[in-house]
Amino acid sequence: MKNPFEAFHHTGARKREIPLDTILKSKEETLSKILTGYEDLLKNEAKDLVWLMQYSTVIKAYSIAERGIEGLEYTAEDIEEFCYALDHSDQIPYLITGPAGIYISALCNHAQEQEICLHLRDLTVKINLLGYRLPTNKKLMVQGNVGDFTGIGLDGGELIIEGSGKNYTGAGMKRGKIVVRHNLGFNTGHGMTGGELMVGGRIKGLGKIVGGKLYERDQLIFPNEGIKPFYV
Amino acid sequence: MEIEHIIQKLWPRVRKKHFYPQLPLPVVIEGGEDCALEIKSKQLSISSAFYDKLKEDMDGEEIVEAVLDHGITHYMYCPWDFHTHLTLYNEAKKVVRQKDQAQRAATYFMDVVADTYCVKEKDTNIAALYKNLPKTGVHEVLTALYEKIWGEDLGSGGHEELVNRLSRIPYLDRKSWKESIKKFTEVIQHILEEEWNDEQMSSHREPNPMGEHSLENYSLEEIDQGLREFAGAVDDLQEFKETVEDLKEELEEKGYGAGGMGRGKGNPLDANLLYYMKLAESYTLPIRKLPIEKTGYLHPHAHRPWEIGKPFADIDVWTSFGKIIPGITQIWTKREGETHGEYEGIPDCLIIIDSSGSMINPRERLSHAVLGAVCACNAYLKNESRAAVYNFSDALRGNKIVLEFSHDKEQIYQAICRYFGGGTALDLDDITSLLSRADNPDIFIITDMQITNLEKLIDFFQRIDNRVTAVHLGHNVHTTRFKDGMAKKKNISLFNVKNKEDIPKIILGKVKEYLTSPAEWR
Repeated sequence: MKNPFEAFHHTGARKREIPLDTILKSKEETLSKILTGYEDLLKNEAKDLVWLMQYSTVIKAYSIAERGIEGLEYTAEDIEEFCYALDHSDQIPYLITGPAGIYISALCNHAQEQEICLHLRDLTVKINLLGYRLPTNKKLMVQGNVGDFTGIGLDGGELIIEGSGKNYTGAGMKRGKIVVRHNLGFNTGHGMTGGELMVGGRIKGLGKIVGGKLYERDQLIFPNEGIKPFYV
Repeated sequence: MEIEHIIQKLWPRVRKKHFYPQLPLPVVIEGGEDCALEIKSKQLSISSAFYDKLKEDMDGEEIVEAVLDHGITHYMYCPWDFHTHLTLYNEAKKVVRQKDQAQRAATYFMDVVADTYCVKEKDTNIAALYKNLPKTGVHEVLTALYEKIWGEDLGSGGHEELVNRLSRIPYLDRKSWKESIKKFTEVIQHILEEEWNDEQMSSHREPNPMGEHSLENYSLEEIDQGLREFAGAVDDLQEFKETVEDLKEELEEKGYGAGGMGRGKGNPLDANLLYYMKLAESYTLPIRKLPIEKTGYLHPHAHRPWEIGKPFADIDVWTSFGKIIPGITQIWTKREGETHGEYEGIPDCLIIIDSSGSMINPRERLSHAVLGAVCACNAYLKNESRAAVYNFSDALRGNKIVLEFSHDKEQIYQAICRYFGGGTALDLDDITSLLSRADNPDIFIITDMQITNLEKLIDFFQRIDNRVTAVHLGHNVHTTRFKDGMAKKKNISLFNVKNKEDIPKIILGKVKEYLTSPAEWR
């Protein structure tokens, strides 16, 4: 019997591989590797879906994260893609904002680019601990709001938040600069020993600041006569 | 003309290549030399000036074929329909917050998708066409993007950072177009802003060489269907409202009014009304007929404006000035004669809706009460029955709307959507008066039952034999009282709704059940 659709066979169809296919394939592969590293971190650090924010756990989680991304080639866009995958994708069984933030920080700190811009405005969750240990010569710009413990232990890098942050921003920072365009929460700059923290909006409360400079709406609020450095 | 000859020669081949799209033979227009293509109601028009200009650098047949490939792929792949176009515009608007820029972002995105699809799937000269097109502003970036994702040398290059970001978008993954256009718009946002600012200063707009995408591309039926799908797909009323308000001018220019299609410019578009209207169209309720006395043959009864989709056979040519134009053409409404018999028919319906402060304002958020009432109203109107509306808050102080039995959908919708937001009291005299104006009509009441004179309402319902569908929100002492009061009445069905979001479903299910069960109450 004659095939009634024969006329459509090979009609104008070329279906060739274009570079876009390769780009998307490579993007998927990189994302998959990044996700594997993140899952390893969760397996080690948040077995019971609970992660306690402590000085020692942060350090340990960071070193696991560093091991997870060792030898991985990725770009700033891949990091951004990972952030969205955390939020939207069903590839990841759960999101714990602490380890996620440490993992993203490790990715940023070890990225090839010196300047990284993350567009996180559409994220429904606020990632904690972004910018952890950001080293000298690195600039991280975040479009959108962030969670708690942003820029803690900042190590000479420049962190710019085009939005608001929550509590403990800049806690324990040693050197470098944090710029937050809008507002910050409680315990801002807690235990910071150096560097600059500039806030465009309002700060709900300061932590026990040891050193460095803190500006609120261009006004130097630490050190000044009202707020003295806290010495342990 | 040379170009016309080429179109006629190429058209069968191009159609075959794109699997025979239902498009008329493209025409040639005396357009500007900067814009290749115009699409209006499926008619592709190629600019002769553009062709003449580009012919110096490219073979004539190649130009025409590439332009046709581009135009047809918009029709066959992206945007495909008006709903997709609206969705893309809506997502782009979430990023740029400005109508003109959102429209451009949607246009550019659709061009990238359509052309990339064509380059990947078809044998086309689109790449050669882009090589010869001027590359300024956003087109420079897009050509650089094409170079990267198609692997062709188009003589552009540069903009590495932007192109890197743009090239990671899965343009050919239809399911992720909503996310993709947002990323796309974010990346080119600053160029769109610059372009827009420049145009504000010079009042000259640089046209898109591959043509603009506007409402002109769609017919009224496509717009109607697109809006219906869009109403069902958006997250909330405000999103729908914002998009429709943005396109209000264009929609009205096309003759699209809230009352349906073809009402003409005189009828201003109400986005809120349109939202409930389109959303309600997704639900169809069958109505069980009841034995009524009025039956017989149909005879022409009154005139109504003709709308697209209504039968031509009912047009009254004598009062339509011999023209078939929505809004001018008149159609006969037919009614049954007065001969007696035991035939089945559908009664009219009185819709009683509570718009007191405890109810959701339908103009701010999706009111399931209003949606339910509109669905019920549609079911009756579709069967040529009439609907009356009694919208009340504190009726005794004048916070009420009393709309007589009518077929006028727009008027009925307006009455249902009105929100007072005050206290809650019914004026039963109004209801008695309305009921007396139709032959034993059905009653559909939707309220949270927190009515000051609830006892009087219970007494009233106990005295009447009309079929009553009562829907209330939540569970409280008043609903219990109402339920107890109505327990023995078989003509009243009460819906105990725990979740507001369940209202439309429960109304649909229950009404269906109620309307399809034997009319044993009579």
